[in-house]
Amino acid sequence: MVKLSGITKSEVLVGLLVAVSVGIGVVALVLFDTTGGKGSGLDKDFIYDIGDKVKIDPNLIFYTESSVPIVTGFKKSHAIAIDANGTIYAAGDKAVRLFESSGNSLGEIQLDSNPRCITVSKDGNIYIGMKNHVLVYDANKKHLASWPHLNSDAVLTSIAVLKNDIFVADAGNRIVLRYDTNGKLLSRIGGKDNDRNIPGFVIPSPYFDLAIADDGLLRVVNPGRHRIEAYTFDGDLEFWWGIYSPNIEGFCGCCNPVNFVILEDGSFVTAEKGLVRVKVYDIDGNFTAVVAGPEQLVKSHEAEICQIPANCQAGGFDLAVDNKQQILILDTIKNVIRTFAKTR
Amino acid sequence: MTIEKKSRRKFLKDGLWGTCLTCLAVVAGAFAFKKRDDEKVWQLDPNKCVACGNCATYCVLEESAVKCVHAYAMCGYCDLCTGFFEPEPRELDTGAENQLCPTGAIKRSFIEDPYYEYTIDEPLCIGCGKCVEGCVAFGNGSLFLQVRHDRCLNCNECSIAAACPSQAFKRVSADEPYLIKKAGHT
Repeated sequence: MVKLSGITKSEVLVGLLVAVSVGIGVVALVLFDTTGGKGSGLDKDFIYDIGDKVKIDPNLIFYTESSVPIVTGFKKSHAIAIDANGTIYAAGDKAVRLFESSGNSLGEIQLDSNPRCITVSKDGNIYIGMKNHVLVYDANKKHLASWPHLNSDAVLTSIAVLKNDIFVADAGNRIVLRYDTNGKLLSRIGGKDNDRNIPGFVIPSPYFDLAIADDGLLRVVNPGRHRIEAYTFDGDLEFWWGIYSPNIEGFCGCCNPVNFVILEDGSFVTAEKGLVRVKVYDIDGNFTAVVAGPEQLVKSHEAEICQIPANCQAGGFDLAVDNKQQILILDTIKNVIRTFAKTR
Repeated sequence: MTIEKKSRRKFLKDGLWGTCLTCLAVVAGAFAFKKRDDEKVWQLDPNKCVACGNCATYCVLEESAVKCVHAYAMCGYCDLCTGFFEPEPRELDTGAENQLCPTGAIKRSFIEDPYYEYTIDEPLCIGCGKCVEGCVAFGNGSLFLQVRHDRCLNCNECSIAAACPSQAFKRVSADEPYLIKKAGHT
């Protein structure tokens, strides 16, 4: 065996092999990502990207947040309403909580199960939509009535009152129910009827809102068709407006808007899920302004819509308008009520 | 007909044998049950999954063991399915330019106006989760990813689990190897 300065050739070879192995190991550690930190490495065709729709032209935003958000204290909130005196009603975990506009608590109504929608009549009666029935309380939070339960498919998502008529949106059965103040079911509105030229409601997810406009017509969202439809109280479909578009003038995704309110001048304020946007349309349904977009509502200064499925699914923000025409937005992710005032 | 009389000794012997066999059966049954209960497989929790795309590229298999599955009970059967269509489709039809899935792994079929059914063509699905993101962002989240156990090698150290940014991977019982999403309105 040849010796070089006391080291055999085989020892040199082993040393070299070890050095090469260590080198390969280091290169592998650097190049190969075992923690996923470098991302999937997929081509952009495999990445879902609607980031450009998240950013909204600041010139279109006519509203700014005008007060500190009201913390509802709910873990899961569903709906808000506001009465003629400015008292705010928030419906959430087995309760309805009342707040002053400043955020001070005015007490609560405890319930046996989760309320899904709420409205307050001019005489102060509180109508609470549960999953499949309606509860009525007076202005002093005294229980007045429990209306008969609907079938097990019923999912009540909106309620509106005008004088002696109460309209309830049932997303589960895709129908609007007209009641009198005693809880007597008078008629069903909006079911598919070819003879009356009514296409029927398309409601893929449990968001189905309605309101009564000053023109005496009932406005109902048909979310799967991306439009707001106008019905007479007798159930005739008069007209509709709304288009699908991820761009600012339209309603995005499979099924939007999820909620809306009507302003004093007849304009509509709409809330969308997915791309969480609150926008204003004039009385004819033409887009006029943005109240707030994803960057204002979901995560400030971040172009993200939602990160985990639970948050994505919770994007059905509810709306109310106070007597100063400020827009109240129930953030169902953070469970707070945010107020936006028109500044332009 | 005669009745054979058993001696006391034979009776005790038979009884002892019977008892031993019964005990053996109980022990073997319990052991088998415990072993079955102890068998765990990898699965990803659809409520934690963020559809990052890592499932498609980190699996040791050339074609990932993770595929998209569809919870039909949750689906809205939307005409404008955001898991099927590009965010701005030119038309609501099956033209390749309108489809979100880069491999065309989702099939759309007409049910009745305006409802459509969406099914996964599994051999084409690579588990990238692009459709899952579209469905979760706007729809009901009925499209989601699952480890398919007809493909998964059940490695001790799952390389996708190690690369999962939301820690959605976990070990589940082999008796219930899938975590299927369910509809629910509270």
